[in-house]
Amino acid sequence: MKKLLQVGLGIVTSVGGFLEIGSIATAAEAGAAFRYQLLWAVLLGTICILLLVEMSGRFAAVAQHTIPDAMRARFGFHFFLVPLVLVLLVSLLVLASEIGGICIALELMTGIHFPWWAVPAALASWALLWYGTFGLIENGVSLLGLLAVVFVVAAVKLGPDYHSAASALVPTLPRSQPSRYWFLAVSIIGASVSPSLFYFYGSGAIEEKWDASYLGANRAIATLGMGFGGFLSMAVLVAAALVFAPRSIQVEQYQQLPQLLTTPLGRWGFWLFAVTLLITCLGATLEISLALAYQVAQGFGWNWGEDHRPGGDARFSLTFSLVLLAAMPLMLVGIDPLKLTMLSMALTSASLPVAILPFLVLMNDREYLGEHTNRHAGNIAVLLISVLASVLAIVSIPLEIFGGS
Amino acid sequence: MRKIHLVRDLLDNQLRDAGGQNAGRVDGIVLELREGEPPRVGYAEVGPITLARRLNHRLGDWVARLDRRLGEDRGAPFRVPISRISGFGTDLRLDLHADGTPIFAVERWLRTHVVRHIPGSE
Repeated sequence: MKKLLQVGLGIVTSVGGFLEIGSIATAAEAGAAFRYQLLWAVLLGTICILLLVEMSGRFAAVAQHTIPDAMRARFGFHFFLVPLVLVLLVSLLVLASEIGGICIALELMTGIHFPWWAVPAALASWALLWYGTFGLIENGVSLLGLLAVVFVVAAVKLGPDYHSAASALVPTLPRSQPSRYWFLAVSIIGASVSPSLFYFYGSGAIEEKWDASYLGANRAIATLGMGFGGFLSMAVLVAAALVFAPRSIQVEQYQQLPQLLTTPLGRWGFWLFAVTLLITCLGATLEISLALAYQVAQGFGWNWGEDHRPGGDARFSLTFSLVLLAAMPLMLVGIDPLKLTMLSMALTSASLPVAILPFLVLMNDREYLGEHTNRHAGNIAVLLISVLASVLAIVSIPLEIFGGS
Repeated sequence: MRKIHLVRDLLDNQLRDAGGQNAGRVDGIVLELREGEPPRVGYAEVGPITLARRLNHRLGDWVARLDRRLGEDRGAPFRVPISRISGFGTDLRLDLHADGTPIFAVERWLRTHVVRHIPGSE
């Protein structure tokens, strides 16, 4: 019974953690520019993160170690620094985008320009982490994040062509704007497959004292949670395809995003959009700050844990504080949150192999996992998707920035 | 007799102290060279000075200078005799309470100088 409750809660929190500014913005731009055609990228990203989350939970449950911990032990300090620094840098940009998402939501609600909200948003997030507990953050914020189901309501109400949508789950080549197409494809994958998400999940499993008896629960949470999260992203893309594409509107400004919900739902849609964006981005802000602090603490062998009082784990608590402090100024100086989001999602894609390949090696280490090592299919799927996304990102990011098609 | 691979089973592995706390990682290994006899594994070093020295000697000296400010007899890497470490492999156990040792020096300094000044942190 207790486990069933945990599975339910796990699914809810995974769904709540999936949708945020990254998946909303990338899906919206893709739907506006290419209608349903990029749905396959959402599917591919979802499969990849689903597999990675399952692996990360399995590793924590069986080996009783977190990924950064094992990465340093197995590969040594010098090697460990490479994924640490890279994930830290890319995640700081993603974190700034999420803080930007909170600021945009507050701008929509109040009319006050977003940079003014950077300090209050970062301060409120910090206070939740400093004074709150893991349960409050995970369950509270993620439960509210389920509000994102409103995107499914919107997509259905707009009357999508289910047949065309289903056929777009198979990748096809673009008829025009190829560089834009591939840039959006990798941004979508980067929005789904964030290293901080599967690192975070493994740390959560250790905090909740999972053991090998949780392997079934882990599989259920990863599959249903990530699957449903991906489904929500698809709903955003479909809604964008029906709201923006028929009027040939390109999504270039974040002020356009609420139309996703105002077109099908009217005035209520505006407020639902603002509140959903606020909550999901707040959840992502907390999650990424914690994930980065976990990664540093585990790599250096400190005590870590969201349930300890800050006075007990000073280094850990000050790390997540510094992470928030480092990301916030990007919003304070008024960098366009939408552009930053698109770029940071594509950069996430580009950096995937560095975070994922050493993890895959660990997932095949019998000393940690015994008989629960990866099967070939899982290895190959994750390897292919991450390398492919990275290569495409490295090619398409310069094209997107410097123009050319 | 069980064989231990120093780099695989000791270096960079997590240490847990007698109270079950995470007590840093094995940041360095000290071998004692003896005349006419094979070298002996003497100590494990734990702490930022050793870690910084592995990257760059100047960085290490700089961290050592910072460390000297944390209290008396500081500024040198903290050494644990290898006999106090057991359970070689993925879980290393430290046969002492790390709380009062230099392993927690930075943690203690941050608690008293930074965290204590933030309301509601105790």
